[in-house]
Amino acid sequence: MIALRDVVVDYGRGARAVRAVDRVTLDVPRGQSVALIGPSGCGKSTLLFAVAGLIRPTAGEIRIADESVEGPRRDTALILQNAGLLPWKTVWQNANLSLFLGREYPKLTADAVLEELGLSDVKNRYPSELSEGMKRRVGIARALSTSPQVMLMDEPLASLDTLTKERIQDLFLKLWARHAFSFVLVTHDIEEAAFLGQRIVVLSARPASVKAVVDNPKMGGLDYRKAPAFRDVVLRLRTELERET
Amino acid sequence: MNRAKRAGRWLVERAEDRGVWRHVAIYAASVLLLLLFWEVASVVIRSLKGGREYLPNPIVAIREMIRLGPLLFTNFWISAWRLVLAILIAFATGYPLGLLVGHERRLDELISPIIYIVYPIPQVAFILILFLIFGIGHPVKVAIVAIALFFQLLVSARGAAKQISLEHITSVLSAGASRWQVYRHVVLPATLPSILTSLRVSIGLGMAFLYIAETAGAIDPERGGLGSFIKNSAYNTGAQFAGILAMALLGFCLYIIIDIVERIVCRWTYAARRSS
Ligand SMILES: Nc1ncnc2c1ncn2[C@@H]1O[C@H](COP(=O)(O)OP(=O)(O)OP(=O)(O)O)[C@@H](O)[C@H]1O
Ligand SMILES: [Mg+2]
Repeated sequence: MIALRDVVVDYGRGARAVRAVDRVTLDVPRGQSVALIGPSGCGKSTLLFAVAGLIRPTAGEIRIADESVEGPRRDTALILQNAGLLPWKTVWQNANLSLFLGREYPKLTADAVLEELGLSDVKNRYPSELSEGMKRRVGIARALSTSPQVMLMDEPLASLDTLTKERIQDLFLKLWARHAFSFVLVTHDIEEAAFLGQRIVVLSARPASVKAVVDNPKMGGLDYRKAPAFRDVVLRLRTELERET
Repeated sequence: MNRAKRAGRWLVERAEDRGVWRHVAIYAASVLLLLLFWEVASVVIRSLKGGREYLPNPIVAIREMIRLGPLLFTNFWISAWRLVLAILIAFATGYPLGLLVGHERRLDELISPIIYIVYPIPQVAFILILFLIFGIGHPVKVAIVAIALFFQLLVSARGAAKQISLEHITSVLSAGASRWQVYRHVVLPATLPSILTSLRVSIGLGMAFLYIAETAGAIDPERGGLGSFIKNSAYNTGAQFAGILAMALLGFCLYIIIDIVERIVCRWTYAARRSS
């Protein structure tokens, strides 16, 4: 579904260019998940923004559904760290953003998605009236309301308390099973990567390049956090990351 | 009271949504307080100046206001629509241009130097040339105020547009927004609260410029606006202060209108206060 070939991203040009992403090659098959983890400032967001069509790679190619990515795509949704909600729009308006942008999406309506995420009661509120956890769920609702084939997430649950975070991770796992999208999750949370990524890619310090790929075939159950395989993956990730920093 | 308690009370009071009547009562009390202060000042000045009346007492001014009612009223409306028209012209040009300059980097590089050179020049300096261009009728008065406010709004809209969080823009861009839609859904709403604040500042500034425009050049006593009304009443301090009161009233009405507009177009900022 998503294919990256030797992707390089530089900021600036010439002598003052800063390389943020260095020859990353990665494949995410349809319906599968990949978690990207790496030291802070290594270029994770840059890589994700390139996949979202917001930044053009300096070299290499990014393809989604066998088409070269030229800009933001209708079948791809991006969730930002603070959910990227617009403070001047209500929950309902935020969830329907694509509708306001004049893009039509067939299958899901935002109302159904808000219902599914337990946000129906707050749909007329503004983001400032919501708890942090609710805001992140609205961000997910907004992405989901466009029935995406691909979900790209940049630290979507950063700075939440553990319980809220894990509850939304559980919810997300259910949504993934039900809606069958492919996703790339950028995170600096080792346990989150191990809980949600079928494959976990460990990136090097800047410029980001693939340092290690950890397979995580047993993930997918809500009680996976208590399984020995989960502990093993977490431990491996920790070792890889500590080697990197 | 210790500091923590005080801070706590401040937060609670900030979150409270006070009723309309409470606001009205507070305003009424403030008006009374101002009148009292005025009365005291007038008594003090009279006794210092050996009984001569420089500052009339409020009763005199209000009596003059009633006596000169129709004339004052005509001039009030003349000034009011000049000011409103000038504000609207300045807003309709300065705001969008400021947003463009603040948001589009190339335009900023091109236009900002010009703004920085022209903005600090006091616009009254152009008053003579404006009189030469527009004559002495309504247009020149509106033009003087509009030009002054144009720069004011341009500069603050530009500043506000530069403050916009990149995250909001990224978020609508990733959802497929066009250039125009970024303005419509992010740049415009994000800058509204601060542009309304500078609109409030503009009222005071606009009044000052209007006064200058209405008192400079030839003065028409019947239809000159409040500025010329005040200047014409140079030998009747009561009437002069009746004119000043009318100006205060005009400013106050405009403030209230902006408050109402803000409550409607910036609803989310009130929601934030309610829940924090
Ligand atoms: N617009 C830009 N111009 C120049 N350099 C940039 C720009 N944006 C990011 N960088 C640099 O590129 C590198 C990668 O940034 P990026 O935001 O992708 O990192 P990240 O891994 O997402 O970091 P974090 O963990 O803080 O989210 C950083 O060193 C950053 O300083
Ligand atoms: Mg980042």
